[in-house]
Amino acid sequence: MNLVLQTLVSTLVQGSMLALITIGMNLVYGTLRVLNMAQGVMVMVGGIAAWTFVANLGWSPWLAMILAMVIAALLGMLSYAVGISRLIGRAGIDFEMTAFISTFAIASILQNLVQLFYGPRQKDFPALVPGRLQITEGVSITWHQVLTAVIAIAALSALGVFLAKSRYGLAIVAVAQNLDAARLMGIPARRAYVLTMGLAAGLAGLAGVLLAPVYFVSPNMGDLPMLQALIVAIFAGLGSTRGTIIAAYIIGFVQAAVSIFWTSTYAMPVLYALIVVVLIARPYGIAGKPQEARL
Amino acid sequence: MSTNPSTAAAATPRWDAKRLGWPRPRLGIAAVALLVAIVFPFVSPDRSWLSTAALVMITITLAQSWNLVLGYGGVWNFGQLAFYALGAYSAGIIATYLPVSPWVAIPIGGIVSAVIALLLSIPVLRLRGIYVSLLTFGFAEVVRLLIIADQSGVTGGSYGMSGFTGFGFSGENALKINYWIGLGVALLTTLVLFALVRSPLGNGMIAMRDNPALASARGVGQRTYQMVIFAISGFFAGVAGAVYANVFEVASPTLMGLGPMTLIVTMMVVGGLGTITGPIIGTILISFVQMQLQDVPEVRFVALGIVLLIVILAMPRGLVPFISGLWARFEFWMNEDQDWTDDDYEDEPEPETRSSRRAQTEAPKAERTASR
Repeated sequence: MNLVLQTLVSTLVQGSMLALITIGMNLVYGTLRVLNMAQGVMVMVGGIAAWTFVANLGWSPWLAMILAMVIAALLGMLSYAVGISRLIGRAGIDFEMTAFISTFAIASILQNLVQLFYGPRQKDFPALVPGRLQITEGVSITWHQVLTAVIAIAALSALGVFLAKSRYGLAIVAVAQNLDAARLMGIPARRAYVLTMGLAAGLAGLAGVLLAPVYFVSPNMGDLPMLQALIVAIFAGLGSTRGTIIAAYIIGFVQAAVSIFWTSTYAMPVLYALIVVVLIARPYGIAGKPQEARL
Repeated sequence: MSTNPSTAAAATPRWDAKRLGWPRPRLGIAAVALLVAIVFPFVSPDRSWLSTAALVMITITLAQSWNLVLGYGGVWNFGQLAFYALGAYSAGIIATYLPVSPWVAIPIGGIVSAVIALLLSIPVLRLRGIYVSLLTFGFAEVVRLLIIADQSGVTGGSYGMSGFTGFGFSGENALKINYWIGLGVALLTTLVLFALVRSPLGNGMIAMRDNPALASARGVGQRTYQMVIFAISGFFAGVAGAVYANVFEVASPTLMGLGPMTLIVTMMVVGGLGTITGPIIGTILISFVQMQLQDVPEVRFVALGIVLLIVILAMPRGLVPFISGLWARFEFWMNEDQDWTDDDYEDEPEPETRSSRRAQTEAPKAERTASR
């Protein structure tokens, strides 16, 4: 019983985290048709920026969290301006492939720059709130985990409201749904692209700050979240927001269950095997549309 | 090579690469390059150059195998390094535990990788485009994590395998012989790739990459073709890995991961994906530049990323197509009575409507992708 409860709590925390990272990738893929390989690096950038503010400058972690989000978002916009904007509408090349490689190059540059300046060492990051919450006898979670889940869910809800209600969010959704129609309605598509990239990177940066006390801060702290996000993204089907959130919790559950009932070493391989089985049955994920395969 | 002759090949009795618009190989340049490659150990400045050159040869084999599936096949396989590492580990395990010659280990490494590639292709090829890259990249990462987490002692975990003898050459000339073995394998891979690309299988594969709807309408079976390509590509990646393990007498998880992947992708993209010479030139260029930057590893990878970014933005199709495009313009400028976009096949008499129509649909792509 305790183990089951522990699994559920872990699912909630991990799933929210995964949703936060993957939703950005999905948003970018939905609007720009770019698989943003720099998403994992943005997680790392968020963590490292927050660490710099907290450990080097001694600022409050809460302020650092907001600043880290802003920095990651700015970097996301910059990576759009440098790496992607020039490839849009170019004749004679496969845009998805070139943009994929381009974001990959950006990820590599950023990661190695951070390694150059900060060194490969893992750095400690203080938990935002100390202490544990005792649920029942033998089951406790840290307040940090509670906070992670709360912030992640709040951010996701805010994103949902933003996309559904605000002028800019609606512009992003419109561009994702039908680029030509959106343009004819006078939506500046390029600005929607910049906004999407910024949003996605900002969410990843937030995830990075929340993950920092758990994973430590290091230049490759983004690799594992990136891999998990990729798995969630395939599982959900790219371009579907609701599917992503559902998939994130399912993946979070499987991972938590395998880690708790078996061993965390095999969490990733088991997940992968699961994905392969799902893809054999449903090649476009649980919520992706078969029309995604455009000729 | 393949059991799948396309329907057009069945209609035309003779398969003529030239009439399909493939450019003629520049045998002279190729011969000179090969000669330089063969005598390189005698003129190389020191051991580190020769050692880099041996690695270059192995990397060319790997890059060509990847080029086959990514450049020609249009399958977004980003898990090729897993097959490379599997080949290396197969060779290492064979050398450690089995009393057979390392020469046997090389094809076995290839076959192991080919079988795993074939198995992986079953789920992968149900998907398209970006999903393929997600699944293959995930596969490579899982293989890497499994090797790192291996506690049984067979693969040595994160430290990798070493302590086996490899080819077992020793003394002054060991490195030279290893280099020549690498050269032989790279040459063989390139020749096979060349023959394959110009075969009916290769043409069907390219047609499928450029226009899947038309290709399937004309009887190119997507699944079978791509599975065959995947397996062949996996085979050569495995061979490259096995040669690596035997030459450098080590197999470790550092063969895989984001860093090595960036390296090889940069080599292919800089040279030009979907060309025969592109990966070769890219590999040589990047490898020797990297060698010069060996003392500053972080700067090395930053520089690599910047080069990749610049090339993909400035000339997305790579150096070789870019230069051959310039050369075509230059030739047009030299004899102005011809339009430089004209292709030779249109001037030829058309013997048969069906094959010539096929030639017209295929040749421009062939011209674009096979420019040497």
